[in-house]
Amino acid sequence: MSPDVLDRIRAAEKGDDGLNAFVSLAETAPAHYADGPLAGMAVAVKDNIATTELPTTCGSKLLEGYVSPFQATAVRRLQEAGAWVVGKTNMDEFGMGSSSENSAFGPVRNPHDVERVTGGSSGGSAAAVAAGYVRMALGSETGGSVRQPAAFCGVVGIKPTYGRVSRYGLVAFASSMDQIGTFGRTVDDAARLLEVIAGHDPLDATSADVGALSVSHAVGRGVSGMVVGVPDEYLPESLDPGIRGLVEGALARLEGEGAVLRRVSLPHARFAIPTYYVLAPAEASSNLSRFDGVRYGRRVDADDIGAMYEETRSAGFGTEVKRRIMLGTYALSAGYYDRYYGRAQRARAYITQDFRAVFDDGVDVLFTPTTPTTAFPLGDRVDDPVQMYLSDVFTVTANLAGIPGMSVPIGTLDGLPVGGQVLAPWWREDQAVAVGAVLEASGGVGA
Amino acid sequence: MSVDRDEVLRIAGLARLHLDDDELERMTGDLNAILGYVDTLGELEDEAVPGEEERTQGRRATRASEETGAVPERLDASKLAPSFEDGFFVVPPPPGLHVDDGGGS
Repeated sequence: MSPDVLDRIRAAEKGDDGLNAFVSLAETAPAHYADGPLAGMAVAVKDNIATTELPTTCGSKLLEGYVSPFQATAVRRLQEAGAWVVGKTNMDEFGMGSSSENSAFGPVRNPHDVERVTGGSSGGSAAAVAAGYVRMALGSETGGSVRQPAAFCGVVGIKPTYGRVSRYGLVAFASSMDQIGTFGRTVDDAARLLEVIAGHDPLDATSADVGALSVSHAVGRGVSGMVVGVPDEYLPESLDPGIRGLVEGALARLEGEGAVLRRVSLPHARFAIPTYYVLAPAEASSNLSRFDGVRYGRRVDADDIGAMYEETRSAGFGTEVKRRIMLGTYALSAGYYDRYYGRAQRARAYITQDFRAVFDDGVDVLFTPTTPTTAFPLGDRVDDPVQMYLSDVFTVTANLAGIPGMSVPIGTLDGLPVGGQVLAPWWREDQAVAVGAVLEASGGVGA
Repeated sequence: MSVDRDEVLRIAGLARLHLDDDELERMTGDLNAILGYVDTLGELEDEAVPGEEERTQGRRATRASEETGAVPERLDASKLAPSFEDGFFVVPPPPGLHVDDGGGS
């Protein structure tokens, strides 16, 4: 990989059409790198993944300038494979957002139209790949934060099965859903990066010991004989007709390549957003309690420790983070726990059961739109949290159930990219890769 | 279910957040909009809860207790903390507690 990748990024980002994709950049490329499957590859890393050479801010004032004393396992693995970290990418603060507008360091802009959002929360990583700064990037998901920006930016994004990739060094948002995911210019790029970072890690108690991941071989496998489920609930009558047309076109291409289409139902899908927006904020309210000004990060001095906690957190967190902490605190508080948290946990189990039933009935993958719209204009939804949350309506179910998912470009609408989502059974990322690769080869917007 | 200003203040206290008047008003409106949407969870029938398998996706997080001899890495807190002296994180006292700078309390 050419060392002037950094010069190119700096030059592009300085101009009027700079995307604000990075919070920090490496000073120079390394003089040497390991001889491995990604030898010399420049990779962008989302700024909630710990690195020792560059700060880890999580897009927050509270962690501005914070340098982690340890490397995330995923970063260590990509370095051992020969890649290097070109920079840390901008994001919605602490992963909370669907537009990458909730960053303390300014919003990220979409390379396809700089007046529009990239999606979020991994917007910087998606933009870096879409703009051609890098071929591959790491992002993270809690509710679709790799797949949704991949769709908005016209690149490939993969969320692995929960437990596939170590969370050691990923700053926690909702620990039962968080996963590091990959972006790529092509399905092969995203798959190869995922292979490198995946695998059991004793430093993460939720990391699964299921053997090495081998998915890049699935790129050329084809889809002949695969049963592709199309859930009714993901193609509602209200779906944008342009997006519906592209999804139906993609399904037709899969059928042309030998896949068998089958209509299915996921009856509890309508509870996905209410479930997610109780459980994720509840977990976040616990996880973000560590940011108190005591051990690391920004501190606002005060006369007593209680005031120090309040002033530090109030000055350090942005509006959306505060909103979610408040929501989560309320849902877990005495008197409301059963009504909100208890019900949401039950709904989560039903959503998971829906997927299991469909996969046990012989469906190999599900295919849906990734998002209900294309990238919306900057500022369009910042004052309407419910509308913003509905951007995730098709993605959050995979995070709740822990299944893998991929977004792959399937065309454009008025010049803006549209993503198709492939959802696979637990541990079957290879099936998603096989389908994504066929769509890419047969007419999606690829590299 | 809706929340009023006093309830929002109570939650902010639990969350260790200070909200000014504008933030309080906005937060009250936002939380009510979100909670109104989330209340659709009440439509779920209270039938038998799906089994343990569904709740844990068949995985158990505990691992065998094995002695590895590994020593946990000690991180240098002095490089991370806003204030750190003699092995302690230095913080302001609890409300109402007078701290004698001579070392007593």
